[in-house]
Amino acid sequence: MTLETKEDLETDNVDVVCDLLDKLVLKQLHLMEEKMVCELNIESCINNGSIHLAKSRYIMGQSSVSTARLPMESSPEFSALTTCETTEEDDVQQLKVVENNNKSKVNPIRWFGVLVPQNLHKAQSIFQNTINVVVECVNVQLQLFENMRNIDALKKYVCLAKS
Amino acid sequence: MALHAAVKGKLISVIGDEDTCVGFLLGGIGEINKNRHPNFMVVDKNTAVSELEDCFKRFVKRDDIDIILINQNVAELIRHVIDAHTAPVPAVLEIPSKDHPYDASKDSILRRAKGMFNPDDLVR
Repeated sequence: MTLETKEDLETDNVDVVCDLLDKLVLKQLHLMEEKMVCELNIESCINNGSIHLAKSRYIMGQSSVSTARLPMESSPEFSALTTCETTEEDDVQQLKVVENNNKSKVNPIRWFGVLVPQNLHKAQSIFQNTINVVVECVNVQLQLFENMRNIDALKKYVCLAKS
Repeated sequence: MALHAAVKGKLISVIGDEDTCVGFLLGGIGEINKNRHPNFMVVDKNTAVSELEDCFKRFVKRDDIDIILINQNVAELIRHVIDAHTAPVPAVLEIPSKDHPYDASKDSILRRAKGMFNPDDLVR
């Protein structure tokens, strides 16, 4: 009698876990779709920004907007304007964009000259916005990781219960 | 009081072609730390794969980096190294470039996520 109830309990538990697995798998599909949408947003942002970079290159000259203007290892140290901070939401690690308050920061647009065309300013604001989209995409990715971890754990439980 | 510096946020690093690097650095993610180590790498057609691998591994090891952005066409060159990186942080995000549109079937994370719906896996 006791053995039977124990078995019943276990089958009940497995059913509950299987229901949970179904929900997690559905969530997984939604997160995958969300990630793809984010990536497509990043793509359109990058394409938009690149057009403005190309326009500034046309106005200022080929080498004016190129890697030659970027700081190298020999240039003086400086800090990033935008960084990200870790927060925790529903036990899932999430990131958020924060402005850096460090004194040793420089406006990157100055690397390309003092009087730069309007297009470079536009490109800058587009890429600043892209950083927000990127962090959003990373957050979806982190949720996806957490979801995969949960699915794995539940699958292991079902395997153990069945054996 | 002066010792109590504000908690510094983590960096976003980028490995990509000229336009991607120039764009994101213009957006303000670039930094050169006091050891003169930049958090970006510009990849052109002459860049060796070993160089890419070294740079990626260096960024993964740095504890001040939380996100590594890498162009998908560049990621294809060092796919084995990216597949081997399974930790959630630093997050490796494959981004499209202006010449190479996004291909979801190549993305490491999505492939791993899709692998969970493997028929062999479901039978278990």
